[in-house]
Amino acid sequence: MSKRKVSAPSITRREMLKGTGVVLGGLAVPGLLEACLSSSSSSSSGSIKIGYVSPITGPAAGFGEPDAYVLSLAKKAFQNGINIGGSNYSVEILSRDGQSTPSVGAQVAQDLIQSQKVDLMLTTSTPETTNPVAAACEAAGVPCISTVVPWQAWYLGLGGKIGQSTTFKYIYHYCFGVEQFFNAYTHLWPQISTNKKVGVMYPNDADGNAIRGALAPALKSAGYTIVDPGAYEDGTNDYTAQIQKFIAEDCQIFNTFPIPPDFATFWQQAHQQGYTKHVKIAQIAKTGLFPSQVSSLGAIGNGLASGVYWHPTWTYKSSLTGVTCKQLADGYESSSGKQWNQQLGASLSLFDVAEAVLKASGDPKNKTKVANTVKTLSVDTIVGHLDWTKPPTFAGAPIPNVQTTPIIGGQWKQGVSKWPVDFVICENSSDPNVPVAGTLQPYTAG
Amino acid sequence: MSVANAILQGIFLGAFYAVLACGLSLMFGVMRIINLAHGDVAVLGAYLVLVIVQGTGLSPLLAFVIALPAMIALGYVLQLTVLQRALKAGILTPLLATFGLSIVIQNLLLLKFSPDVHSLGASAGGLTTESWNLFGSISISALGLVVLAVAVVVFAALHLFLSRTRPGWRMRATAEDPDAAELIGIDSRHVYARATAIAVAIAGLGGLFLAIRSVFDPGSGPTQLIFAFEAVVIGGMGSLWGTLLGGLALGVAQTLGAQLNPEYAALSGHLLFLAVLILRFGGVRLVRFGARA
Repeated sequence: MSKRKVSAPSITRREMLKGTGVVLGGLAVPGLLEACLSSSSSSSSGSIKIGYVSPITGPAAGFGEPDAYVLSLAKKAFQNGINIGGSNYSVEILSRDGQSTPSVGAQVAQDLIQSQKVDLMLTTSTPETTNPVAAACEAAGVPCISTVVPWQAWYLGLGGKIGQSTTFKYIYHYCFGVEQFFNAYTHLWPQISTNKKVGVMYPNDADGNAIRGALAPALKSAGYTIVDPGAYEDGTNDYTAQIQKFIAEDCQIFNTFPIPPDFATFWQQAHQQGYTKHVKIAQIAKTGLFPSQVSSLGAIGNGLASGVYWHPTWTYKSSLTGVTCKQLADGYESSSGKQWNQQLGASLSLFDVAEAVLKASGDPKNKTKVANTVKTLSVDTIVGHLDWTKPPTFAGAPIPNVQTTPIIGGQWKQGVSKWPVDFVICENSSDPNVPVAGTLQPYTAG
Repeated sequence: MSVANAILQGIFLGAFYAVLACGLSLMFGVMRIINLAHGDVAVLGAYLVLVIVQGTGLSPLLAFVIALPAMIALGYVLQLTVLQRALKAGILTPLLATFGLSIVIQNLLLLKFSPDVHSLGASAGGLTTESWNLFGSISISALGLVVLAVAVVVFAALHLFLSRTRPGWRMRATAEDPDAAELIGIDSRHVYARATAIAVAIAGLGGLFLAIRSVFDPGSGPTQLIFAFEAVVIGGMGSLWGTLLGGLALGVAQTLGAQLNPEYAALSGHLLFLAVLILRFGGVRLVRFGARA
């Protein structure tokens, strides 16, 4: 074999560059599966267009997965239009795929703004989708409401400064932040006696670095010892170095913010090399948002602790559709044949906010008026009550345009429901209205 | 001792890279096709095994044996229908064709299987968690051993095929000079189709190991492709044994880098790749440059 010489037909550098240019250009072609769902109804005094951008394809596609069901609920609620200031407006929802890619997010947002002339923009899930959409809206003067991005990543990512009283004119956000993780962890972990040594694996990406900078010091001041072997790259395939360190330090608590394949690889190797015998609490975030990410692990996924931003047992109701949390989960499960996931609540809540702000504005076609209405908006959504007149404070300064929502700590367990794994809520420090269903049990699958 | 363990884990990891890279190396060696859809073909294989496992309850390794004929057929048809036409149109067209194929496979998988992640780790049972401990700090995992053994067997079998069998000779002759091979009666189309069939089957094996050692979704292909490419280049493009050694070297470089600092794991693999590129292809030029300066 080694004698077989490579006599590649000559490719000149120019040809190669041309070729790769075409390949890279191909990346900008709009998605094959771009969802263009729309609905409308006639016989009304005006029509309102709502743009909705979410990741339906690409690495964050899991977040867009419940869209079809959520959009069907929202469209049903809007089918007779909405009554604002005595006149009836028909409502059209234009859904677009941000492809989990900032450049595509910006492109579809521009299209919705320029060609479709949307009156209000909604966007959700990961900064790669929400931030370019919000930036385009702020520049074009279109009101935009977003969620499911830690508020720090949205606010600071778009150039907001802590301590400024006014930052953005048209864009608003509601989501959890690093504080909510801190609350959940410090109420969850004391439920089991440990040596308070936390082995952490925070990747070298936007989430990982934010958590390393903000959460780790807070945990330290709460009395935990942080053992941080250092940042690793997403897509790493071997974790021997970290595992050896965690074993040597006897880290009984483990905390990580990885992408799902990295966690699966790590956790399997942690079993092979004997680290999981030391672990009493395995607290994972980011991975574990969706049940398939835990159930696919099999036995070693039983008992992983995590957090949720929505759960079917919550007591809230969608103000737009009137469905309860349980009805939403049941409806999705029977229509899709799949287990509920947290994004259902988050995505639907955007439409609760949309209806409330359009109604409260009195003049839904006036973009400035709509945007200013959010500042004083108080609305009941399926993820809880939002009130933009009470901005959260961070480091003593109020954060304008932002509302924080809870992260509730709990544990993925097998044999709780008809599904392979289900989430059991074990604390409610960020929202006392949430019912607690059990206490944290030590991880024993090691 | 921890360094010895890191090297061992690196070898296990490298064997996985080598299996992923094997088909890539073969297709480049025989047809000069850089298959950008190689990772997606591997993931397609993983889904095929998943469907069989869910349907029959077989272990993933057995299920792969059932999936194998389908993968071979897929490779054969793929070459005859898509790649052969692309090959005729010049050197860059196959690159574009495989790039398009990659998008098509990903989106078809997304349509059929949703973005949910899946794993074959749970159905592989003890294979994923079983391990033996030597001298307290060296851990030999069952999965690592299996992957390493399979990698060696696959490369040895392919070597024997190319050096000892008539179809293998034809393949080498066609790789050297397709026109001369045609002159002595070799049908290059079928030789190429055979090569792609083998490459796709081995890609499926790589997909199987990926699915056992981690989770996968429709977009998992490209993330692993970069490591497979690096293994091929480090081992010398078109050389089979080189690809095995390249994979092992890449794996060990990554685990040793991680011993210094986890941040250096990916970096040290890339550095090795760059070093090989410079030494192999840019070395002479660099030396001359230095002399002139």
